[in-house]
Formats: sequence, structure tokens, C-alpha cells
Amino acid sequence: MRITLFDYGAGNLHSLAKALQGVRREIVLETDARAAANTDVLVLPGVGAFEPAALALEHGRDTMRAAVAAGLPCLGICLGMQLMFDSSEEGSGAGLGVFKGRVTKLRTPRTPQIGWNTLDDARDPLFGGAQLATAYFANSFVCRPLDESIVTAWSTHEGDRFPAAVRAGSAIGVQFHPEKSSAPGLAFVHGFLNLISHS
Amino acid sequence: MTLTKRLVVCLDVQLGRVVKGVQFEGLRDVGDPVELAERYERDGADEIVFLDIGATHEARGTMLDLARRTAERLFIPLTIGGGIRTVDDMAGALRAGADKVGVNSAAVARPEIMTEGARRFGAQCVVASIDAKRDGDSWRVYTSGARVRTELDAVVWARECVARGAGEILLTSIDRDGARTGYDLELTRAISDAVTVPVIASGGAGNATHVCAVISRAGADAALVAGIVHDGVTTVGALKRAMRDDNIPVRMVA
Repeated sequence: MRITLFDYGAGNLHSLAKALQGVRREIVLETDARAAANTDVLVLPGVGAFEPAALALEHGRDTMRAAVAAGLPCLGICLGMQLMFDSSEEGSGAGLGVFKGRVTKLRTPRTPQIGWNTLDDARDPLFGGAQLATAYFANSFVCRPLDESIVTAWSTHEGDRFPAAVRAGSAIGVQFHPEKSSAPGLAFVHGFLNLISHS
Repeated sequence: MTLTKRLVVCLDVQLGRVVKGVQFEGLRDVGDPVELAERYERDGADEIVFLDIGATHEARGTMLDLARRTAERLFIPLTIGGGIRTVDDMAGALRAGADKVGVNSAAVARPEIMTEGARRFGAQCVVASIDAKRDGDSWRVYTSGARVRTELDAVVWARECVARGAGEILLTSIDRDGARTGYDLELTRAISDAVTVPVIASGGAGNATHVCAVISRAGADAALVAGIVHDGVTTVGALKRAMRDDNIPVRMVA
């Protein structure tokens, strides 16, 4: 199984690449958005700011959107989740639009949210399977989906309830960092990859 | 339900080994950073900080190599501080495997580094590391491993760091560092009331009561410990249980 991390330039991909490793899995870093869509699993990692990331995405956006719409399994993490939506208050540029809605700043006096937050009303079996109940977040912005039925777990920061995870088929976005959420976070990633390889 | 309070373990690193300074002097060697970091993760540490002490230009490569080795084995957040001079240094540390980068002397010398770092990597990656020492009714900022006194007031400086883009403050009391007599609660309260970003309190942890106090009474979002866990005075697990028993929301490991 070929797993491609779309590398849009900002941050630490070591832990994520390591978290994705496994038997019969090939991990590829790809800086070209169009080429990144040519894979078995697409991972949008989560460090950086929306605008430069949207810029890096631009030339392959249509290809990537079409591939995910056609069923390419996709895991978006933090900023990567935000890139799966239409647009963001953080900066200009367009996201993939796999999920309908806009990214806005957390409506709290204290941002960024940095630390471990609980996952509430988790209804995706992937959470229970991984025993992932508390996950690591580092974000100032959150996704506001038009259709809340895609939300599979919620979190609350200082009274602002926001989607911790969204899912439509095999396209999953998580606001937290599974690769930084210790053993249960890794189990979540492996649960997702196992699910894909068996479907 | 809510964001939990964090227990952060700091490893002072010199030439790829862990040392812990007492009042920033008299260093002792306590072990291998990667091995220790993994041990603390298993025990329930919420985050690891590597502080590169006495960082020189020549030693940077050693630190980046250490970050890479650690990131491949550690699955909780890693902050690297010490010796970061430029935005490119920040990029190097993040690229090597750090999730956040601490800036101290470089931020005082050139505060724009925080703005540029936040723009390029996001505010959540930029940690303003502030070493403060009591000076009459207020606290003075020191740089260069607490050797150089500046004209900056710690509260005013903390506010400026946040205005400039820092997403978190790592606040160390020079007076308490290594003393194990408890965190400087007044200093921590003054800073946490002054800013809108998370504050990690550092310097003075001697026991679980100190850790609980700085969170419950001084507004810290996280408490940093080093010597007391490296020396085996207590454990990360025992500290986390004490926090939970004190009704502080924490993440417990299975």
C-alpha cells in the first residue's frame, strides 16, 4: 500500500511518517500536489498556515479533489483537515472542498489551544478501537461544517464546541494530531489504514 | 469536555546527553535523551522539552540529529530550545522533528523572529522562553542562560512576545530553578493574567504539591519538571495521579 504525505513545506513529518509505517506499506513524501493524488492513501499533514499551504495545493487541487471524491482514502490532520474544507479565515486561497464549510478562528479569549483535549460524543468505531479518548491539539482555527452530520467527534475549548473529527466514507479529517497522541493516537492511525486495506 | 493541564518533562541536553543544572550551574550527567523521553512518554508525560544548554554553532548538528532520532520514537510533542538564533534555525529544528521551538535570547535581541516564525510555521510552533528573576516588586528578564540581565520587565515582555506572535510562554523562575522549594506562584500568576496564550511554569518543582499549586493557584496551563523525575525523587505517573486527585483535569495513561 502506497501512502503519500503531501509535503507543503512547513513542519515536522518525521513522527507522522513513522506513525504510518507498517508491513507492506510504502511511505512517500510528495511536494507536487498533482503527483500526490496518484497513490493508495493520501495524507495531508498538519503544520503551518492555511495560505501558503493552499498555494502549494493550488496547481493540483482539482486532481486531488476529484481523486478523493472518487474514493481515494484521505486523512487530513489539523491544518490538513482544514485544507479539506472550502476556505479559511486564516488566509486567502481555496481548500479542497471535500467537506463543505469554512475554517474560523476559535471563539475563545485564549488561543492557540495547545494541549490534550477530550474527544466527546465520538461515534466513529475507530476511536473506541484505538481507545483514543484524549488527543493532542495545537491550533487556533477550527472547521465549521455546513452539515454537522459529518462530525464524528467533538471537542470543546473554553466553551467553543468544534469538530475534533469529520468523516465521509474513507475521507477523514482530524483536528488533533494522532501522531502526537501517544499509543492511542498511533492505534487510531493504524485502525484507519487497516480499515482501508480491508475494504 | 475540556483541555487538560499538562505535565511537561524537560531534559537539559549538552552534546547529545541529558544534564540538569542547579541554578544553571554544577551540571551532572543523567542519561540518554531519547531513552529518557520514551520512558517519560510511557509514564504519562504530556510533552517533552529538550533544552540545548551551552549551544554552540558547532553543536547544532548534534542537536538536530538528536531531534531526528527522538521524533522517530517519541509520539508526544517535542519542544526544542536553546541556541535558536534565526528563523532558519527554527525551520531546521522543526524539520528535524521538533513540534515547537523555544526562543529566548534571540527574541530579546530581535523580537521580529517571533513574528516571522509565527507567520511561516503558525503561532503554535513559537514558544517564548522567558527566564525571570525577582527584582524588587517585579521580575527582570535575563538572557544567555540567566547570565545576562536585561532592562525588560518580565510581565511587559511576556505581553510583547504574544503581540509579536508567540503562541506559548515557557516561564522559568531563575530564583527557584533547581531549588525544589516550589514554583514562583506570584510570578506565574502575574504572567498568566497578562497574556492570552498558555503558560508553562518552570523552576522550583520539588514535589507533587508544588505542581498542583502552580496550576490550581497560579493559572499555569502546564507545569514543567526535570530534576525531581530524573533523580527518582518522584515519577511522572505519581505526579499525574496527584494532579488528578487534586481535581485538576489531566490525561491518564492506561
